[in-house]
Parts: sequence; C-alpha cells; structure tokens
Amino acid sequence: MKKIYIIAVLMIVASIVILTSAADDMSTYATFADADNSGQKVKIAGQLSKDKEMVYDPQVDPNYFSFYMKDTEGVERKVVLLGSKPQDFELSEQLVLTGKAGGDEFIATEMLMKCPSKYKDEEVYIREEK
Amino acid sequence: MEPIQYIGEHLLPGQLGQFALFAGFTGSLLAAFAWFMAVQRRERPEAATWNKIGQWSFGIHSVGILSVIGVIFYLMINKYYEYQYVQAHVSDDLPMKYIFSAFWEGQEGSFLLWMFWHIVLGLILVFRPGRFTAPVMSMLSLVQVFIGSMILGVYIGLGDDPFKLGSNPLLLLRDTVQAPIFSNANYVSLLQGTGLNPLLQNYWMTIHPPTLFLGFASTTLPFCFAAAGLWLKDYQGWVKAVLPWALFSGAILGLGILMGGAWAYEALTFGGYWAWDPVENMSLVPWLILVAGVHANLIAKNTRHGIRSTYVYYALTFVMILYSTFLTRSGVLGDTSVHAFTEMGLETQLLAFIVAFAAIAAIQLGLHYARIPVPEKEEATGSREFWMFIGTLILLFSGLIITGSTSLPVYNKIRQFFDPAYLGSVITDPIPHYNKYQIWIAVFISMFSGTAQFLRYREPNWAKHAGGFWKHSGISLAVALLLTLLASSWIKGYSWQYSVLMFAGLFTVASNLDYLVFFLRGNLKKAGSVVSHVGFGLMIVGILASGLNQRIISTNPFMMDGLIEGAEEDSARRNLLLFKGVPMKVKDYTITFVRDSIDNLTRTYEVNYKRHDDSGAVVEEFNLSPNILYNKDFSAIAAYNPATKRYLDKDIFTHIPALPKVEQDINYRREREDSLNYRPVALMPDLPTVFVDTVKLDDADTFLTRTYTLELQDVTRKPLHEDYSPQAGDLAIGATLAVRRSDDDSTYIVNPVVVLRGDFIYAYPHQINELNAKIRIPESIFESYFVQEENLNFENYTLKPGQEIAVEGFRLRLDGFQRDPVHPAYTPEDGDIAVGAKLYVQSATGDNTTLEPVFFIRGNRPFNIKDEWTTKGLSVRFASLDPQTESMQLMVARMPEAGRELSVELATNSLRSDYIVLEAKEFPGINYFWAGSLMMMIGLGLSMTDRMRQK
Repeated sequence: MKKIYIIAVLMIVASIVILTSAADDMSTYATFADADNSGQKVKIAGQLSKDKEMVYDPQVDPNYFSFYMKDTEGVERKVVLLGSKPQDFELSEQLVLTGKAGGDEFIATEMLMKCPSKYKDEEVYIREEK
Repeated sequence: MEPIQYIGEHLLPGQLGQFALFAGFTGSLLAAFAWFMAVQRRERPEAATWNKIGQWSFGIHSVGILSVIGVIFYLMINKYYEYQYVQAHVSDDLPMKYIFSAFWEGQEGSFLLWMFWHIVLGLILVFRPGRFTAPVMSMLSLVQVFIGSMILGVYIGLGDDPFKLGSNPLLLLRDTVQAPIFSNANYVSLLQGTGLNPLLQNYWMTIHPPTLFLGFASTTLPFCFAAAGLWLKDYQGWVKAVLPWALFSGAILGLGILMGGAWAYEALTFGGYWAWDPVENMSLVPWLILVAGVHANLIAKNTRHGIRSTYVYYALTFVMILYSTFLTRSGVLGDTSVHAFTEMGLETQLLAFIVAFAAIAAIQLGLHYARIPVPEKEEATGSREFWMFIGTLILLFSGLIITGSTSLPVYNKIRQFFDPAYLGSVITDPIPHYNKYQIWIAVFISMFSGTAQFLRYREPNWAKHAGGFWKHSGISLAVALLLTLLASSWIKGYSWQYSVLMFAGLFTVASNLDYLVFFLRGNLKKAGSVVSHVGFGLMIVGILASGLNQRIISTNPFMMDGLIEGAEEDSARRNLLLFKGVPMKVKDYTITFVRDSIDNLTRTYEVNYKRHDDSGAVVEEFNLSPNILYNKDFSAIAAYNPATKRYLDKDIFTHIPALPKVEQDINYRREREDSLNYRPVALMPDLPTVFVDTVKLDDADTFLTRTYTLELQDVTRKPLHEDYSPQAGDLAIGATLAVRRSDDDSTYIVNPVVVLRGDFIYAYPHQINELNAKIRIPESIFESYFVQEENLNFENYTLKPGQEIAVEGFRLRLDGFQRDPVHPAYTPEDGDIAVGAKLYVQSATGDNTTLEPVFFIRGNRPFNIKDEWTTKGLSVRFASLDPQTESMQLMVARMPEAGRELSVELATNSLRSDYIVLEAKEFPGINYFWAGSLMMMIGLGLSMTDRMRQK
C-alpha cells in the first residue's frame, strides 16, 4: 500500500491548499458600508423594510424591482434587484442579497428570501362563516 | 374549571395509532436486542430461540409502524382536522391524488417513509435468511429505534422544561397549539385544513421522496453488512454478500437525486437542474462515497486488497446520510438553502443519531482492524486495483470537499457558541466555488475510469500486457481528441479547463466503448460498468454543453440601457415584457403572447415562438404554454409553472416570473376598479362626441390635456362580450363605439355591455389597453330606457305580405311570416304557437335593416315581443294576426330624439392588464446530461442483477 500512502498524503496536501484558497470564496455577511468601501461583489443579509415603498412596474422595466432593506447594522438603503419581484416577497423577513454598491443604491443580482411562515403556519385556520 | 366535553372529535383512531406507535417502537428495541443476543450466542443452542424472538419482534415492529402509517392515511383521507398533522397538511380542496404528497410533506411523515423502506428491506432479509441475517437485522433494528424515537413525542424528565423525545404525528391540534377556539366545545366543525403547499402539488412530489428515501434506506444495508462481517469475524465473506445491495443502493439513491434535479429543472423555476444547494449537496455526498465503496468492494472481492477501505466507505456513506438528515432537518442551514425544513427541536436527537453510529462504526473497526487480512504484496502500478483505488480516494476527496463547504453554517454555529460576536461567513458565489474544484475531480475520474478498464486485476505479467494497454489507450485518446475538436465548434465560450474536462469525458466514452467491443466482445450482461462509465462521460458532455451554452433568449433589445456596466448585470436582465398580440423580436426569435385561458385555478398562457435565420425567414414555429396556479380565493398566485420545448439536442425553457398586479390579486383588482374615476359622456347615434381629459403630471403643477372622440355606432340587445355568456331571461344592452385619442393614430372599436339578470345588474366594461382607458354603460340605462319605453305612443297599422307603409319618414314593408322565430327575448315553450314578422325598414336617409317582432299564443293568451332599430329609435310590435285575411296588426312607435341618447362612462386611469413578463432560456445538450446520468444508474442496476446471478 506504500504508493497509495504517498498518493493519500498528496491529496491531503491538495486539500489543505484548496481549503486555504477557498477562504477567498468566503465572506462574512457584509453591510452596506462594506459594499461601498470594497466596491466588490458582496453578500448582505438584512431585514426588509416593509413600510417603505416597493416598486415593480414591468411596463417600465421588467428587470427592475426596488425596495428598502436594513442591514445588520441597522442602515437602511434602497436596493435594486435586476429581475422580477419574487412571489410572496411581502411575507419575507430575512433577505440575503448578492450584488454591488452602485451610488446611493445597492444593485443586487441575486436574492434569497426566508419566509418562516410559508411552510409552517401556527395559525389555526377557521372556516369562514357561511 | 371543568374540562370541556368536546363534540365531534374522532379519538379512537388516534389512540389506536399511538398504541401501534409504541408497540412498533418497542418491537424495534426488542428486535435489536434479540438479534444481538442471537449473534453473541451464535455457537450455543439458544441462538435459535433468540433468532425467533428477533423475527417476531421485527414482525411486531413492522405491523406497528405500518399501522401508524395506515392510521395517518385514514385520518388524512377523512380530513379529521382535530389532528395537528392532518390540519397542517390536508385541506378540503386537496385532490385525492396528492394525499401521499401531503403525508410526506411533513418531517414526521418523511421519517415514517424512511422507516417504511427499512421495514421492506428488512423483511426481504428475514424471508431470505443467510449467514449475515442476524447481525444485519440487529443493526437495522437499532437504526429503526433511532428513527422511531424521532416520532415518539414523549417527555422525559421532570420540572418545567422536560426533554421532548421526538415529534408525534398523532397529536391533537388542541394539545399542540393554544387558541381561543378550543374553548368552543364544537370547535372541530370550525376547523379548516392548511393544505399542501401548491408548489408541491405535482407528480414529482409523489415520486421523488419515496425514491430518495428508498435510496437513503438502502444505504443502511451496506453499512450493516460491513459491520456484520466484522462482528462475525468473517472478514471476507461479507465483501461478496454486500455487493448487490450496494449496487442497488447506488442505483436508487442516484435515481432519487436525479429526480430532484429533474423536478427543479422541469417544474420549479430554479432554471437549472443543479444549484449546489446544501440540501442537494448532502444527498450527493453519500452517493459519491457509496460509489467509492462499490469500487473498493470490487477490489476487495477480486484481490483481497482494500477490505478495510470498503468498510470505511460504507460506514461513512451511512454516517453521511445521517449528517445530511441532520443538516436538512435541524434548521442549521437557515438562510443558505431554499429547501431545508424549519426547526422542530430535534437537533439533539439527530446529533445523537450521528454520534451513535459513527461511534459504533469506529469502535468496530478499532477492535477488528489488526485482524482484517491484507495481502502481503503491494498492488502493482500496472494493476487495475491500484488505479481503481486511487479513483475511490478521489471520489472520497470530492465528497469531503463538498461536505466541508456545505458545513460552513455548522462551523459558524459552533464558533458563535463560543464567541457570540462572531458574524459567520458564507460562500459568496456557491456555483463557481464548487465547480472550480469538482472540474478537476471529474477530469481525474474520467481518465481513470477509462484507462483502468484496460488493466487487469493482480497484473501477473505487465510486460506482456503493456503493449495492448498502450494501444487501446492510444486509440481512445485519439478518438477523444477528435471528438473534442468537433465539440469545440458546437460549444462556444470554452476556457482551457473546460476543454480538458470535455476531452476527459469523451475519453471515458471512447475507452469504455473500446473495452466493450474488444475485451467484453459485446457481452452486455457484463457491461454494467461500461454503461455506467459511458454514462458518466456523456453526463459531463451534457453539463458542459448546457452550462456553458445556456442562452437567455428573452433579453429585451430595447432595455439594454443598463444601470451599471458589466456583462454580469446584463445577464441578470432576463425578463421580457410581452403585450398580448404584439410580437417582440429578440435575438433569433420572435415571441408573441397569443392568448390566455382560465380553467378552475389554473391560468394558461399561450406563447408563440418563431425562430428565424440570419436573413429573417421563419425556420420554425411552435407554441409553449406556461401556466400559473391561483390560490383558493384568487388573491395571490400560488405557483408559476414553466413550459419546455424539447429537442434532441436542446431544450427551450420558458416561464412567467411576473404578471400585472391586477391579474395577481382579485382584491387589488376590485380595489382598482372601485378607484377608477368614471365620468359620463352622453352620445347621440352617429354623432362624434368630444371628451377632454386632464392629467396632472407628477413633477410640477402642469397638466396634460388629452382629447377623446367617441362615436356611437350601434346599440344592440344581442351584445357580444368575451366575458358575457347569455342566459335565458337576460335583458342585455350593448353598444358599439369608435374611440380615438388625440395623441394616438388608431381608432379603437369597443363593445361595453350591461346585463339585467333577475334582480342583478352586471356590467361588462371594455378596456382599451393601449389607452389605459375603460368604458362602461351605466346601470341607469335600464331606468331611463324603461321610462322611455312606457311613454312610447304606438300607432296601429294593418299589413299584408308585400304591402308597404310610410310612418314618420320610414318605409316599412312586410316581407312575410316566419314560423319558429328567433328573438333574444323569446324562449319557446311546448304548446306555443309563435310567428315572427319579417319587416324590411328603410329610413329617410336610405339606411335599411330587417326587424322581426314576434307574436305568440301561450295557454290561450296572446303575447308579443317588440323589435327595434335602436339607433333610429324605431320600435315595432306584432299585435295580432288574422289567419283568414293573412294580415297582421302592426304597432309602430318612434322614440323622441332625447330618448335615443345613450350615456356611457369613461375612465382614463385604468391600468393595463394585457401583458406578461416572460423568461425564456435555451439549454443545449441537456439531454446528454439526462441520458448520461440515467445510464450511470442503469449500469449500476445491470451490475447488480449480474452479481445476484453469480450468487
């Protein structure tokens, strides 16, 4: 098995190299301030500002959806998602955006929503009175 | 307070279910113990008794768990909403065919599904007993104990916060939630089911979970056999016995994962088959390690090398299944996955499950490690086992790298436990991150699985064999190189890494076909490995083709003004706005939204595609029909379902990501309708009327004036409107108007309708989408109409066929009588004697028409129904008929000018609703992916049947 051992050792070395290089692919959830400073593509987690306006008018641009989000430091900013307004967007609480800062706005290319109530509803449904 | 006596609850099935659940759980405990004793005392006579006890206990376990499943189905089918699980997953309107989906939608149901498959596999083993049955069944029963504990739902310990063991699917709703409704003794009749998430209401949800869970369950057996081999100190016997089970598991688990990919691709709107989502990754990793195990197993069987590795691989496969279960069910993945379950408080139990079996596996290996035989001689470099073994290491390596990246949320949780201030890191761009490493793994695997076929186990004479090896490898390399060059003209956007991968994939295909022809001489029974490896190569071709050449068709050429520079943002802009009936030219397609239709809750949109060549000539034309599913009350869209056009070499995938808001929510639509500012316009027939609209502009105190010109062309009692279906007894009025707006060149013909049906008035306005305007006929029309009607002064005339009279400037001629007349206000009944008069009428200006008033006798009483020339205000009645003289009494009246005025209402702020937002994508070569990956599983299946035959 000796040659096998050599190969196994090589693989371990390779995995160490990979794991160190993979650190570049990782990032902590950034804030809007980080996005401004770095100018790079970042991931930002935050809360949807439900009281602020959300604009999606496909007649004007079907790839433009804007809303406001508060990041983890509580900074609120207008976000532009280059895409359509997702289903059940209003219900979502936690958002994770991928994108870059662009002037006063944050331009997102991807978005993940977490809707805690979607799959598990604690509410008891009552039949409507007839 | 006295406990409430509830009415209408069905408590008996639940109690039976609870009993069955505890009996089933106890059965698995007993079975695990009895078979454990049967193994420990295997040299003694009492072993047979322990075996019997084991069989009976497993029997009780099986009956118990199957009964629980049966009871839950019974409760679900009968919609007993007093049970929490039923209430959470079923609703009145859930079609019967989704009852299975509803069953395994929840965590508890999917645990039961998993146990169900273990029972099926266990029973196969019990009824076909062999050398390893007792130890395997002991381990399997122990696994069942752990899974069973997840659905027990008992509280252990005292005090305010006892430990809850499992989540019981048979609990009553009133025991799980607190709500004021439970103070009502008759609460059951008030309950309503939540129902199955509409996204899950499709056939994939019916077939994917059972297949995947059979895959999960089947991975338990290779591990059980491996552990059994060590336990019985039969270090070589198990290697042969386990192989068919491992191959079966590989095929089914792989199929289950593939179905998940197919579901994502076909029915959900993720727009791809694989997204490196944590849940996907963690079902792939056990499969990779299992495949590594199968290869190690083959080495062990043929050379006795690698028995320990086989054991480790199989044990690790099972532990990885448990780890995957932990990740998807504990809620730890949080916001990094789109399809993980939410938290349920089972984390500790799931963790204990992993730790227990990892420990059992490790301790077993530790105890027996030194005694597991290893051949003295090292594998020769020119032997098949040497390269195959390296291949298994690479697969393991691949699995571990994926697990490492996927476990980042776990790592974050652990660090946050010690350092609450730690923010936690995430992978910024998962897809490139995973692809970057897996490319090289795929290259190595492809190259090895090609060349290793030409090598021999325990190479006895490399010097003699080498020539043939190099010859065949050389031929395959040459063929692969040629094919790679050909492919590069088909697939664009290569980087050198992708070219290498393409070459490697094609090399696997070429070399394995070579092996099939020259070594196996076309013997397909032995060709399992060839089929799998060729499949792997084709899969790589498919991944590259569909991944690299994926093309967004629906990029709007006029919307490219772009917020920021950079290709990435452009590729994110993938939605196209399509107005009904307006063709849109994009790239090499012209796309038209043709029509939409609604059937129950499903609304289907027909979209026409015309593909043209460079000169603009249409090469091909087809229609695709993506649809949407409304929720029960049309207040939201529950699901958007894509449609795909399939070709041999590509797919065209299309779906609707957004619709006008008025089409999404009926409440909003009503609100909008109510907020419309309708203003009256009085119209005289054939006299254009001008209406001036002022619009306040957003930015300043400026106003925009627009002039509308409306002309009444016709008023009819037999109106046509797309939403109006006439019924007997309706009193309907429809108008035909020509509308123009000062800033628009077109004339729009509109047909608003208003209908009086019984006591209700129904208005059918006409929307002019191009002008954002809406026109309706007000309800007051009926009132003014009837008043006018009553005040009409009819004068009598006697007419014979052919005779002509002049009245108020009109010339009327009776052209004849008509039996069985047709008139919108006349509904024939049995016994009626009815006649219609055909009257030709000409006005002073030369216009003419034909009127047909009706006279009929019903039950000895005469009736007549008038007919009118609405725009001229002329009414005629057929008062009576004299059969002897063949003459009729005709009554004629002319409405005064003021009465002929028709008032309509115009709203100029109505929203446009005749458009869809469309996304269309082209996936070339996707079928190579499906065919290739399916071939991999078929190859595993072929090998399995072949191994079973050898037994």
